[in-house]
Formats: sequence, structure tokens, C-alpha cells
Amino acid sequence: MTPENQKGGKKSGTSRRSLLAGAGGLAATQFAASNFGMPYIGNAAAAEPIKIGMLWAKTGAIVDQATYLAQGGFFAAEQRNNQLLGRPIEIVWLDEPNPQGAQLNAQRLIDEHKVCALIGGAQSSLALAISAVAKKSKIPYVAANAAALDLTGKLCNKYTFRLQPPVDVHTRVLAPYCEKLGKKWYTITGAFAFGQDIKASFTDYITKAGGSVVGSDEVPVSTADYSSFILKIRAAKPDVVIGGLSASDLTTFLKQWSELGMKGKIPFAEISIGNTDIWGVGPEAATGIYTMVWVYNNPGNTAEDKAFVDAYMKKFNEPPADKAWMGWFGMRSLLESIELAKSTEPAAIVKALETWRVKEGDLDVGYRDFDHQMKRRTVICKVKDKIPNKWDYVDVLENAPKTAAEIDEAFGSAASSACKMDSI
Amino acid sequence: MLDMIISQAANGLVLGFLYVLIAIGLSIIFGMLGIVNFAHGSFFAIGAYLALVLARDFGWPAALLSPIIVGAIGMIVEMTLIRHLYGKEPLLGLILTFALALLAEAILRLIFGGAPVPFNPPSIFAGFIEYGPILITKYRMTVLLVTVLALVSFWAFLRFTPFGRIIRAGSRDAEMVGLLGINLPILLSGVFGIGCLLAGLAGMLAGPLWTVIPSMASGAIMPAFVIVTIGGLGSYSGAIIAGLLVGITTAMSIQFAPAWSGAAMYVLMAAILLIRPRGLFGERWERFE
Repeated sequence: MTPENQKGGKKSGTSRRSLLAGAGGLAATQFAASNFGMPYIGNAAAAEPIKIGMLWAKTGAIVDQATYLAQGGFFAAEQRNNQLLGRPIEIVWLDEPNPQGAQLNAQRLIDEHKVCALIGGAQSSLALAISAVAKKSKIPYVAANAAALDLTGKLCNKYTFRLQPPVDVHTRVLAPYCEKLGKKWYTITGAFAFGQDIKASFTDYITKAGGSVVGSDEVPVSTADYSSFILKIRAAKPDVVIGGLSASDLTTFLKQWSELGMKGKIPFAEISIGNTDIWGVGPEAATGIYTMVWVYNNPGNTAEDKAFVDAYMKKFNEPPADKAWMGWFGMRSLLESIELAKSTEPAAIVKALETWRVKEGDLDVGYRDFDHQMKRRTVICKVKDKIPNKWDYVDVLENAPKTAAEIDEAFGSAASSACKMDSI
Repeated sequence: MLDMIISQAANGLVLGFLYVLIAIGLSIIFGMLGIVNFAHGSFFAIGAYLALVLARDFGWPAALLSPIIVGAIGMIVEMTLIRHLYGKEPLLGLILTFALALLAEAILRLIFGGAPVPFNPPSIFAGFIEYGPILITKYRMTVLLVTVLALVSFWAFLRFTPFGRIIRAGSRDAEMVGLLGINLPILLSGVFGIGCLLAGLAGMLAGPLWTVIPSMASGAIMPAFVIVTIGGLGSYSGAIIAGLLVGITTAMSIQFAPAWSGAAMYVLMAAILLIRPRGLFGERWERFE
């Protein structure tokens, strides 16, 4: 109380009458809101924003993908006029320079910015780091880009949800294509969780199929020159090269692969690449067969995806990269789950995320309750022989797996999952 | 196996020469201005982007202007910002150039976006040169020749021209050069500009090989610092020898221990500094003592 209030004189800014009128008005608003199907008017009056914490890299090797991931997230909020539960949405975007930095910033978002949920983790190592914070702080977290097995495997937790299929699912989809090209494989993978998972899963596949891995290199992240690695591959004469390089590392590799005359001589394949990785290579050097989570001109896209492409192109004058879609879809799943929960309470959001579903053809797409892995088809695509413009680099070969039963088999069951889900 | 080793060594030499070109500018800027230029990688990135734009819009010959423009930008930066740091606390130079590096990356991202931009070698340099086990692409051979030419020209410039002699004298005792009536500020701007020009030249040559992305500076600056440290701060010949050592060490580590290839140059640096803390050709410089 101010000194004037303490004296109880007329200088007080709030009279008993105005206080009563205000309280009456507030009660009437709450009554109207709850009785006329407008449960959010009370919150709107308060206009307290719903804060979502976003952790996409602003610096470093993954920043090209992260820019699109963030753009997609903001776009999802914009499409709702930045409103949720009758309150404004406020997205707070911090950097994830490395796993330690990602954890610090995730904690800052929770403690200082009081966010009700997190989205981010452009690389597996970053997503695993953020997931640990989400678990400790009991805050829902959507990992929209990471593919490392452990995220929804042995390091799964009740608060972490993952959009991208894990490495082993991508492998089950792409490896049969690679096997048709030959059984002598060479792996060149990044020396971090994503690359190591690719190396292990493809080696496992080809060994069981009676083939062999004739050479294998783990490459430091942000390697600038791959020529020495390419000379080794050239000498090993494999039938196929399996890549596990992320973002601009893949771009650099493919440029030098072509420069050293390997394009068209030995096929190159990799899982879970992004549009920007290929767009940056250029039409002269681009090559390979890949899996992608989503492709903007995939004939198999849903009506909602097509509407997203149209709206995005209208706003940005270019087709959305797969990462823009992933940022958008991840954020959409989160916002719609908060709406479904009618609450910003972490436990309620987690429950809503577990039940949130959208239809993609014959498939109900959503996060599985036993490991929080999103289950949906993956796109197998191949770089076109003749690239017509700077965006349209790939032909879609297949949306795989084809049937619901095959999808279940590719993603594995609760019994085969390494995830031992904890409770809220 | 011997074939592979020879092939990797040749490849490492090409990589090493590219590193030398990046490092030499850093070395002369430190040697003559006493500034540890954290923004050196940014001039490398600007060189790559400028070459890309000029080649795309006006053809490859226009890309040759890129290093000159980068040199001019470097002189402007020296005259407006760096100049105020001479004789001051060395930490200020580190902070300012680090901030400049962040600013340059942000500007590149603002103009060109965060995604990589396609940039490939000109078609005239497509193809290889194969000699026994050695395989080098024509473009890499061109990079090698241009780098050697640039290094020899710069050495001759320092050695045989009056301006070069003034620069060398100024690097040892700037005050005395000033007392002799030589316009020291213009001299220092010129040195900073030349250092940036060399970084821009390296960016132009590396652009078609590496990924042209706003953060590409970081891939260039670390090897440059390692080379300058191994060669001895401010030493021209030291930077050349160290660059080649780093290139060959990296290539050999890829052959025998690929997972360690990223750390190989740092291990080399640590080993050399243990034996010779001033680096291979580092001398005792009165002005830095």
C-alpha cells in the first residue's frame, strides 16, 4: 500500500465503489464466458501471452536448416493470428550454439521467460540435450528435426515428442533401394549421434543381407574439405556410398564429390536430408537418392499441406523447404494440443499431445503414447537428371512404407521399443 | 598403400596452400599492426559471396574483382574502426574484431539468407589431371598455381619495392618509420587492405569448393589461426611451411584415423609449441615484448 492508502484519505486511487464495480464487472465477464461457450474471454481480458520457447540454431553449421525451422514455427502461429485460447501467442526464440548452450537456453526459457512448452533441437545432439532439460523441468518439448534413435528410444521421457522418424525407420525404407544397386557399401558419416546411428543401422542391414561394408569413415562436423575422404572411397570401389552428413556438410561433400568426378560413377544415398542441403549444391553437382520427411511438390501431399504450400508461397515467394514444413507442423501439433488441453499446464499439454491426431490419407498421424514418436510415411526421392529450376531438384519415387501394417512394422511396436516411458 | 599415401600427400598440399592463403593475411596483419583479427574469416566469406554474385551476374572474369573489393572494404574498416585500437589494450582488438565477425555474418545472412548458395567451378576447369597415383582436379591445380603466384608476388612486393621495405620497417618499429616522415596511417590501412585482399582471394578460390554459407568464415578462421601459431606469429615463411604441414597432416589423418582428422592440426600445433613455444619461425619482436 502507498502512504496515501494507509491514511485511507481521498487521495487513494481506488475507491470502495469503483473496486466493487470492477469486481462485479469481472465476475459478469467470467460468468458470460463460462456460460455462453466463450471460455477464454477471461484470459483474453488478462491478455497474458502464452509463451512458447523456441530453440533453433542462430549460428553454426545447422543454421541454414534452423532458419527454415524457425520460419515454419512463426508461420504456424501467424496462421492462427497469433492467438491461442483467446490469448496472444508469444514465441521466444533463443540460440542453440552447442549442446551445453542449448541446455542453458532451454533453462532460461523455462525459468526467465516462463514458457509453457519448448520446440527445437535442429541436430540430434542438441535435441537430446534439450530433452534432458524438458524432463527435469517437466515441460513439454517437441523435437521437430532430430533423428537419433535414443530420443524416443532408451532416453525417451514423458515430456519429449519427436516429429522426424528415427534413423532406423529411414534406414528400413531406403536400404532396400540401396541393396538393388549393389551389396558393397561404404559409409561416410558425421561423428555425432545422427551419423553414428546411420553407420550402425546401415551396416547392420547390409551385413544381414549378405553384403559388406568395404570402408567406413566418421567425419568431424563442419569438415571443409572432403577430397581426401573421396580419394579413399574411390580406391575402395564400393557399389553405393551411404552418407550420414548433415546440412552444409552434405552440401560441401556433394560439391566435392562432383568436382572429383564421382557423380554418376558411384551412387550416393542418404537418409533424412533437407531441401537446403541439395539446393546449395547446385544443379551441376547435385546427385543421389534420399529419404526426406516432406517434399513441397509431392503428389501425395494432403489438402492441408497443399494449402500450407500455397499460403507459404504467397508470403515468401518461394516454395517451402521441408524444414519450414517441419517447423510449421511441429508448432501446429503443439498449439493444437494446447488448444485441445484448454490449458497451459504441462501435464495437460502432454496428455493432449499424446492424443492429438491429423489425417494423412488412410493414416492417423500423431505421436504414439508409448514412446512419443510421430508415425507417418517417409518420402523416397531421387535427384532429377535435369533440374528445371532452383527449387525443384528431386523426383518423388515413393511415399513409404505403403500400408498401415508396413508402417507399424517399420516403426516397431511397444514391445520392441527401447523406450521405458516414465510417468508425469 | 604407398599410392594412396602419395595421392593423399598431393591432395594435402593443395589444401595446405589454400590454408596458407587464408593464414598469410592474418599473419601480416598481426605482424605489422599488432591486431589479432578475428574478423579475418569474414573477409574470406565476403570474398566468396562477392565472387559468386559477380560470376553469376557478369561472368567468371568479373569474379576476379572480388579480392580487390574485399581489400577496399578492409581499408575502410581499418580507417573507421581498427585505427582507434593501435597502442591500446590488445583485448580491445579481440573484442572489436570478434564483434565485426558476428556483424559480417549477420549482414551476409540478411542479404543472402541462411541457406547455402550454389557456386561451382567454371566449366573451363572441369576434369582431372592424373599422374600415376596422383589425382588432382584442374580447378584444384588452378587454385594451387594462383596461390603460389599470389604468395611469390607478395613476397617480391615486400622484398623489392619501396612500399614493401617501408612495411617491413614499420612492422619492426612503427614509431621510427613515422619519425622519418612516412605517412604511417596510410601505410597501415594499406597493410590491412592487403591482408583482407588475400583473405578475399582465398574466399573466391574456395567458394566453388566449399559451401557458400554465411557461417563459412568459421571453417576458415580456425585453420588460419593454427597455421599462424605453428609458423610463428608474423612470419611469412613460417605461415607457408605451417600451412603445408597442416594440409598434409590433415590428409594423412583422414587416411589413417579419419575420426581424428578434425583434431589432427591441433595435435600438431600442441606438439610444435611444446618444442618451440614461438612457433617454427617465430622471432623475438621488441614491440610485442
